[in-house]
Amino acid sequence: MIRKSLQKIYLALIFILLYAPIVTLMVLSFNNSKTRAKWGGFTLKWYRQLFQNEQIMSALYTTLIISFFAAGIATVIGTAAAIAIQGMKQKWRTLYMGLTNIPMMNAEIVMGISLMLLFIALRMTLGFGTILIAHITFNIPYVILSVSPKLKQTSRHTFEAAMDLGASPLQAFFKVVFPDIMPGVLSGFMLAFTMSLDDFVITHFTKGPGIDTLSTKIYTEVRKGIKPEIYALSTILFVSVLVLLLLINYAPEEKEDGKTKRKKVKRPSKVKMVVVRRVIPAVLCLVVFGGGIYYATRNQMMNGDKVIVYNWGEYIDPEVITIFEEETGIDVIYEEFETNEILYPKVSSGAIAYDLVCPSDYMIQRMLENGLLAEIDFENVPNVKYIGQQYMEQSKQFDPENKYSVPYCWGTVGILYNKTMVEEPVDSWGILWDEKYKDSILMQDSVRDAFAVALRYLGYSLNSADLDELNEAMELLIRQKPLVQAYVIDQVRDKMIGNEAALGVIYSGEAIYTQWENPDLEYVIPKEGTNIWIDAWVIPKNAEHKENAEAFLDFLCRPDIALKNFEYITYSTPNTAAREMIEDEQLRNSKVAFPDLDKLPEMETFRYLGTEADGVYGELWNKVKSK
Amino acid sequence: MKNKRYLAGPYLFWSVSFVVIPLLVIVYYAFTTDEGGFTFANLGQIVTPENLKALGISLLLSFFSTVVCLLLAYPLAMILSARNMNQSSFIVLIFILPMWMNFLLRTMAWQTLLEKTGVINSILGFLHLPLLDIINTPYAIILGMVYNFLPFMVLPIYNVLIKIDKDVVNAARDLGANSAQTFLKITLPLSVPGVISGITMVFVPALTTFVISDLLGGGKILLIGNVIEQSFKQNSNWHVGSSLSLLLMVFIIGSMALVAKYDTDGEGTVL
Repeated sequence: MIRKSLQKIYLALIFILLYAPIVTLMVLSFNNSKTRAKWGGFTLKWYRQLFQNEQIMSALYTTLIISFFAAGIATVIGTAAAIAIQGMKQKWRTLYMGLTNIPMMNAEIVMGISLMLLFIALRMTLGFGTILIAHITFNIPYVILSVSPKLKQTSRHTFEAAMDLGASPLQAFFKVVFPDIMPGVLSGFMLAFTMSLDDFVITHFTKGPGIDTLSTKIYTEVRKGIKPEIYALSTILFVSVLVLLLLINYAPEEKEDGKTKRKKVKRPSKVKMVVVRRVIPAVLCLVVFGGGIYYATRNQMMNGDKVIVYNWGEYIDPEVITIFEEETGIDVIYEEFETNEILYPKVSSGAIAYDLVCPSDYMIQRMLENGLLAEIDFENVPNVKYIGQQYMEQSKQFDPENKYSVPYCWGTVGILYNKTMVEEPVDSWGILWDEKYKDSILMQDSVRDAFAVALRYLGYSLNSADLDELNEAMELLIRQKPLVQAYVIDQVRDKMIGNEAALGVIYSGEAIYTQWENPDLEYVIPKEGTNIWIDAWVIPKNAEHKENAEAFLDFLCRPDIALKNFEYITYSTPNTAAREMIEDEQLRNSKVAFPDLDKLPEMETFRYLGTEADGVYGELWNKVKSK
Repeated sequence: MKNKRYLAGPYLFWSVSFVVIPLLVIVYYAFTTDEGGFTFANLGQIVTPENLKALGISLLLSFFSTVVCLLLAYPLAMILSARNMNQSSFIVLIFILPMWMNFLLRTMAWQTLLEKTGVINSILGFLHLPLLDIINTPYAIILGMVYNFLPFMVLPIYNVLIKIDKDVVNAARDLGANSAQTFLKITLPLSVPGVISGITMVFVPALTTFVISDLLGGGKILLIGNVIEQSFKQNSNWHVGSSLSLLLMVFIIGSMALVAKYDTDGEGTVL
């Protein structure tokens, strides 16, 4: 008996391990606060907002449809292959199983990269098709490995007997063999479906513009903090699958004879069973497909006027897109990226013809130098007059004649600190090297930003390409590493709100939001100076809808729209007219959002330093990270 | 039955087009420069102390998480296989169901659980117990790996265990072996193929992950997966990234060889 209870306790512990995160996510879906770091009371609003959020719903349906087709096609190919392999000689069988094992064993990252390189080499447009191909590829082995054992259990004589009795091979297969391997085929399908649904890495490398699965959508959102609607959606998905599985597994079943484990014979007489096993799945399929077709046709109907926009994650108010579509009838295909470095090869390879892209200063310079950008026809963008002159002036650092870019957001990089944890005044980068704050410091996890901190602290330019200076900066960063709690990008926000750390390096745009959520936080620009950055819209040379891009750009420069965006993303807008319209006086005059450029310490904008220097930075940063 | 072989045709075509050829593309990238010329320089670039260290840590962490997985999974698989219930569905319920919550979200949730002011520490603090401080350390990464890959260890072991003929076990008992002896002489040897395939199914993804170390390691611990990801994303150096991928392939091929050795009947014990 003790043994039994020990077993039960063990099972329970494993169960807790597996389900603790899931319960956490479910709880978060009812959290009234937008950040996961704070419990803001119970709410159902995310569930309501979920169904209005077109981007998430469309990602959901894309995911379901891709998973369904990938699993379906993989099931057909895989089952056929399993049957063929079963009948092969040992040598061939080993060869085929080896082939099957490659995608199973291969690292996802290697597989994703290899497929991406292949698709780009073949000049295939990255999109729905390429994701589907990739998913089928990694799904087939799951099907084969589920079907093969079942095939082993079936006697090949039954098939021959059926043939002898006059059945055609097809008849014999569907009447005799197939019912026997059915459970394997089904579980192979389900497994493949689940794997597709859960895949991130491979989709990430093989997807194109305007298409997002839930995974990739979530990944872009990790940058800015997950939208609570995603938690709500996951909870719904999870609960519905749970219910479905419970229904199927605990549905009334005919009694099995313990010894003769023959195949379950279907008994249509039991109404309940039919409902559970046929009707419910059928209804679910209908819902999925109905929704899928609805959303798919929405996207497909865009054969008319469209504009393909490539922007940072969470960098626009979704309503702005809706308003634009309603006003102009031009459909916006909206795609998000995480870093400038991801954006560059996508644009330069020409695999995807984006119409409007929003890189940062130094990346614009790089694109310009490599002749990737088209001149903007400012006749079509009259609203550019609302952009403050000082920002156009700043932009000249990367776009000397203001011909190729229109500033969208700008800001500084500084230190965010928690007043209750830091006693002394914060005015220098030096505090990030103070032993007192060991394990309470958050650093930026990107090469240039991290080096900028060290370089400015040492009094060098943050565009330094001087090896000695860079080495010195690296030594400094290595010295700092034991004090650092974590290297993160936008999780600084959640962690600072949740009082996880005392000090963090952060973008000014994020600082405003964190202060709303946690009034103990304060943002400072250190006296040694820092980076002032500008993200600006540019039109790639291979854009196919340049005029639409200009129309959208003009729309974004409209003061009321720029204001709407500012209030949503809280990154400083260069649109002076929009700033005048901010109602909250405190926000309008916020020193964080709109610092007085003249009174700031020495500010610099990143410049592109060339491949060689890029390589040096990367190498040194690797040394820091691997210490 | 002869023409059955053609049924494998589509699969062969698919595998060659989208598994074998892409790998060759990686090889191509690994040995060429931006201009397309042949070079060994990329390979030279990967044997830096930093990369070797990242590889070392990856090997170490994936080794530990594989061991932990095995230690957790074996008893679990035994308990499950000994139970007389609608097992396959139960297993599915327990292990496949979590995958319907997105992988990234599940791992992110561990952040919320493990953080200094996180859920677990709130509970521990409430009970006046010592606090857990493992977020952003290698331990958190191992936990994340174990959490994510445990099913891949449990399922193969479970699958071989249920296939063991009960009569063999009973015969051993009848012949006077105690339960420890029966386990060591009968159950364990018979379950080796499942264990081996479980080990590789955990070891390879643990060795190559970049998401788990990113989310739970606080970016302080660089695994080989992170290095590869960076070379594609941050440094846009596809050639060096491809070379590093080749390096990983060495370990993957090693694992495959190991599995092939124990999986003599070529049926695959993974699932």
